[in-house]
This record gives sequence, C-alpha cells and structure tokens, in this order.
Amino acid sequence: MKDMMGIVMADNSELRLNELTEMRSVQALPFGGRYRLIDFILSNMVNSGIINVGVATNINYSSLMDHLGSGAPWDLNRKIYGLFMLPPYVRGGAGGISTGSVDQLYGVLTFLRRSRQQYVLLASGRTVCNMTFDDALKQHIEKDADITVIYHDAKEKSEQLSRSNVYEVDEEGRVTGMESEPRYPKTTLQGMGTFIIERLKLIALIEDAYARGSHDFVRDILMTAVGTLKVYGYEYKGFAGIVDSVKSYYENNMKMLDLDVRKEIFSGKNKIYTKVKDQVPTQYGKTASVSDSLIADGCVIEGTVENSIIFRGVHIGKGAVVKNSIVMQNSVIEENCDIENVIIDKECTLRQAKRLVGQPNYPVILPKRTLL
Amino acid sequence: MKSAECLAMILAGGQGSRLGVLTKSVAKPAVPFGGKYRIIDFTLSNCIHSGIYTVGVLTQYQPLELNTYIGSGHPWDLNRNSGGVYVLPPYQSAEKGEWYKGTANAIYQNIEFVDKFNPEYVVILSGDHIYKMDYSKMVEYHKAKNADATIAVIEVPWEEASRFGIMTADENGKIVEFAEKPKEPKSNLASMGVYVFTWDVLKKYLQSDEKDPGSSNDFGKNIIPTMLGNGENMCAYAFDGYWKDVGTVQSLWEANMDILADPPAFDLRDNDWKIYSRNPVKPPHFVASGATVNNCCVTEGCNVYGNVKHSILFEGVTVEKGAVVENSIVFPGTVIKEGAVVKKAVIGEEAVIGKGAVIGDENTDSAEYASPYCTGGISLIGGGIEIADNEKIGINAMVTSNGKGEN
Repeated sequence: MKDMMGIVMADNSELRLNELTEMRSVQALPFGGRYRLIDFILSNMVNSGIINVGVATNINYSSLMDHLGSGAPWDLNRKIYGLFMLPPYVRGGAGGISTGSVDQLYGVLTFLRRSRQQYVLLASGRTVCNMTFDDALKQHIEKDADITVIYHDAKEKSEQLSRSNVYEVDEEGRVTGMESEPRYPKTTLQGMGTFIIERLKLIALIEDAYARGSHDFVRDILMTAVGTLKVYGYEYKGFAGIVDSVKSYYENNMKMLDLDVRKEIFSGKNKIYTKVKDQVPTQYGKTASVSDSLIADGCVIEGTVENSIIFRGVHIGKGAVVKNSIVMQNSVIEENCDIENVIIDKECTLRQAKRLVGQPNYPVILPKRTLL
Repeated sequence: MKSAECLAMILAGGQGSRLGVLTKSVAKPAVPFGGKYRIIDFTLSNCIHSGIYTVGVLTQYQPLELNTYIGSGHPWDLNRNSGGVYVLPPYQSAEKGEWYKGTANAIYQNIEFVDKFNPEYVVILSGDHIYKMDYSKMVEYHKAKNADATIAVIEVPWEEASRFGIMTADENGKIVEFAEKPKEPKSNLASMGVYVFTWDVLKKYLQSDEKDPGSSNDFGKNIIPTMLGNGENMCAYAFDGYWKDVGTVQSLWEANMDILADPPAFDLRDNDWKIYSRNPVKPPHFVASGATVNNCCVTEGCNVYGNVKHSILFEGVTVEKGAVVENSIVFPGTVIKEGAVVKKAVIGEEAVIGKGAVIGDENTDSAEYASPYCTGGISLIGGGIEIADNEKIGINAMVTSNGKGEN
C-alpha cells in the first residue's frame, strides 16, 4: 500500500485516565505487559505497507519520543520516508500548544504537503487491534468516498459508547448520521478514531476549517461532511479495544488474558512491534505461584500472582500476593504485600507487607514512582 | 578505546560436532542459550561493551542461520557507518578459492579486510564460549606490556588441565611455555581462545605460516608455538570470571543450569553488561491456572498450562496441561503435549513431544538412540522432531529423526 501515508494524532485530551496520563500522552500508555498503545496503530500501518508515518504530538510527549526513537522497531527508520515526529508548531509567539485537533493538523500541513501518497490514514492510536487497512482503502476507492470512517459494532450501549463517535450507516455503507458523545446513542456502531481521506482533500479541509476559526476535527469537519460530502463507513469485525478511561484501560488489559483475544492480537501473520529492552528471561523462584497471568521478560517472581498483567522488570517478593492487577515496568512489590484490583504505574516501590485493595470495577491507581 | 585502534575477528566457522543433532543444520555459535540468546550473543555483546565497534565474523559451516541472525547487526548496535559487523565467509579470488583450512588460515584469507581498517591491534575470539569479559582491559594490558601477543588464561582444575591449551608464565606474566592438551600439565592456566595481537606482527606470521605446507594453519598448533619459539613478547592475561566452553551437550546443559542456581553461577541480570540478542516479537508469556512454574527461566511467547521445574523455556514454547518439565532446556517453538514428561533433556527447536510421551525415562532402554554425544544422563531431541504419543525415550539418548535413532 505504497499510496497511503499515516498520521497518528497523539493527544492528552479530556479522557478519563486520571494520573495515568498526567505525565504522558494516551498513546504512550503502557499496555499488555510490554507494549504502549501506539504500538498497535504503528504496527497495523506498517503491516499494511505504509512507510510514511507522522506522529503529531501535543503536550508531554517525551515518553512518546523516547519510546518511538528512530522508529527502528517498526522498520520505520528509513531513508525514503519513515517516521516523523511532528511536535506542536510555534507560530510568531502564538503559544505552540494546540488547542484542538484542527490546530494540531494545521501544524502537520507541511508534512502533508511534502508527502506524495494519494491517501492518508488518520488515526488516534488508542485502539488495541490487529488489522490491516487494505480492504478499507479498497472500499474507499470503490465507493469514490471523500472520507471513510472505520468503526466496529460495540453490540451494546455502554458508558463508553456515550463517550464515542457513533454512526448511522445505510445498507450501501454510507454514513447518514453521526453523533459525538451522545447521552442516548442511536446505534452501537462505534468509531475507532481511524479515517481514510485523500491527502489533497484533507489539506483543503484543514485550511478551510482553520480559516473559519474551527478547532475540532470531529465536530467541525467530520460532522459537517456527513450530509455534504460522501462519507462512508467501513466495519471492522475483529477485536477492537478502545482505551478512553481507567475502566476501559483496565478491562482491555484483562482481555489479553483470554487465549482467543491474545492469539488474534499477537499470534497472527501480522506482528505487533514494540521497543526492545533486551531484558533477561523472567526468573521464577522456588516459592513462586502464578495463575492466569501475563508476565513479561526481566521479572523476578517469588510470590503469588493471579489474574494479572506484569510488565518488564517487575519484582514480586516472597509471600506477596498480587491479584487482578496491572503492574508496570520496574515496579517492586516487596515481601508479604497484598495487592488487589490495583494499577501500579512504572517504577513504584511497595515496601514490605503493604496492603492495597481497589474495587473490581474501580481499580486504585498508584502513580509513577510512588514509594509506599 | 578508539574503534580504529582495535578490531575483533570472531571465529564462528566450526561445526561443533560434539553438540550432536543440535548443530546438524546450524553452526555452533547459532545454538540457543539461556532462554533468549544464541551462543554468539555473548561474544558480540562483549565486543560492544568493550568499545570494539568493528567486528568480522568468520563463518563456514552451515552459515545461513547465523548470517540471518547477525543480519545488519542492529541488535548489538553494530549497524554502523564506520565499522560495524561484517560476516566473512570463504570466497573465491582470481587466483584461487578455498575453504578456511584452519583458524589461522581464516584470518589469513581476510588480511585485506583487516588492513582496510588499519588497526593497531586485532582481538581474535571464538564464537562459542559463555562469558562476560571486557576486552579493552586486555588490550590496555597488552599495550602496557608492549607485547606482540597476549593470551587470556583462566585457572582450571588440575585434573582437567590436559583438555586445554596450557600456558606456563613467569612472575611477570610472560609466557615461557605453551602446550596444547598436555598429558602432564606444568600449569593449570588454560587458554580461553581470546587473543590480542599487534597486527603487524601477526600479519607477518600468518603470511609465513601460509607458506609452510606442513602447517595445519591453526593458532593453537602453529602460530602461537612458532611465535614463542622465535622469542616474541607473549603475555598471559589472567581472567577470573565465569567462562564456559559449551562444546558438548553436557556442558551446554550445565551452563544453562548455572543460570538457575541461587545465587546464579552466571548472572545474566546485569544491567551494566546486558547481553543483546535478536528479538522474537512475541507477547509476554502466559501462565494458566493450575500451572506451576518454579526455579525457572521463562521468556516471551510461552504458554504454560503444565508443571515446570528447574528448567529453561525459550520463546514460544507451549507446555500443555498435566505435562511435566524438569531439569530441562526447551528450545524455541516446541510443544510439550498433554501429560508428557520431560526429564533432564535438551529439546531442539519446533519439536513436538506427543501426549503422554516420556523423555529421559530411566526404565527405558534406548540403545537404538545411543550416542557418544549424550552422556551424564541427558537426553537430546533434535529440532523439528515429533515424538509420538506415549513413546518413551530413555536417558543418554539422541533422537535425530522421526521414529529412528542415529543412522
């Protein structure tokens, strides 16, 4: 698919991720034991043959920059195209922090103009899925669409659906109506924050929206386009885990414990790539007891772990019990701690015999580098 | 150490025939080790940590897997504009073309390659040892002693000394005698196969050795004794860390088990001296309910439903429900089916151990699978082999093909 380029819109928007995104953009959120959310969209793009990818950042993007580096893990360290970081563009004393996605897109106009691909895949990069975009592009061309929105059927109404873009699609696949964050959604067709659009058309739409003083891609461009332009929907039928709140972050992580989901996401023909840390294999002590858990490399497990996701380089001491929890990179849980329903961010230390219990549907978050 | 000053040549062409079926289709340096590494990762990582950024890897026997594995060298940061890693197979020139006849001849055939970098010193290494060593300190020692050649030595137990190249050094570290596998060793300082040479001197000896039709063109047999005989300044450099030649199935098994000791005899968890390797791109490993995993090393992509004790599982290994793995090393992608038992074994890549099968069964006579390479009660199953359901394989057995023993 050498005629499509990709743009990831990294943001720190008003999502309900609390302390988890205080210091990082949503796309830099650690996920599934060794990944960050952006790995999924980048791998999907690369697996679709996209070789020209821009990552538009907003604030607090150092962890994202650190993770992406030169793009080598995704084979995006290229001489021809490759990975481009697009930090906020500072115009004549005008601040430099984007106030909405159109401003952010205006900042990437130069990159769009310099690229030569005919189509652009625009993505928020907050969806956990393993898909390629070949079929969606094929449909986009066949339907002669102006914009194709990629959605999946959430099947049931939920709190999350009420925070999403929800589409009405006719039998031809044309989007006939759309709502953003509806209290009572009309359908369950949930947008995956991923769009296909012709590059020159995107440039024109951004310039136009910017000139009119509009700010929001969804509300000011997309919603106007439904009805005036040819907007089509492409339904993705595989697993799609959208992360937009602490709850959905926690639940989607836990879904990785399901063999079928894990196989679909990680064991197919197309791989999910991430930054390599050269950690040693995980070491299990004589007192370790682990069940229904995903454990990344570089850990030392001497205690009990149940139904949890353990990231790289975590130490779980003797007699410690970790249940229904997510423990991020390099955190240390010392002897005889008792942890349940907790999200422990990176590099935390829980001294001996600490007890921390959250509610099953409302996990406690321990922010990065907490010493307890 | 400046990169132009020093260059490393890794001898990685040997077959390693004593590893039996493990080196049937790969060279010894490409044999998996320690859960996520290949043997050559240790030498390559040592080079990077020593500040040596120009490395030639001399390959000959079954080079495909090793060449693919090394690739551009990026896992070791050896993909560089100036220097980097070069795979050097034997080649044909206008005059003639020939295989590498010996270790010295392999370097001789690559004199032009070394000269291109114009180094002051050349470090000669072998790609089949497990150790962590800072070669830059050895080069500093070589310079301080104004030596022509420096040979790294390690103390070995006296009773084993006759298996090694043994050095006798005077009180200043100057080598006065060298004996290859002596019957009655005069010292217990064994050569580790790690040499630093002043390139101009070595080049001269390589050229004259090549002209000698009676020479076997080998460092240990020819170059070192000749240099010593000519009174060149040769020094012994003492190394006292962990060093293991993993040339046999038993030593490979033992070195792997050294990682599991408490505290580990060989520590891989050293953030200041990481061992780099090519990444398999797999998710974290999964341990199911009902599984037990104790005193083990487990890496990415594994799925464990059974019971694993004192063992090393490489990437993508599946241990099904009710299966038992003990004191074993299981190479990448292998599946141990339901109820199978694997005891004190090395299982090659992508093998399948059938339901209820037993590997390393003391009560089964496996004379048909007997092999001089499998001793010490260790059983070895070759890569890609499928062991039938309920089949029993005894100890000291080597299974090299489906349903048949060695030949």
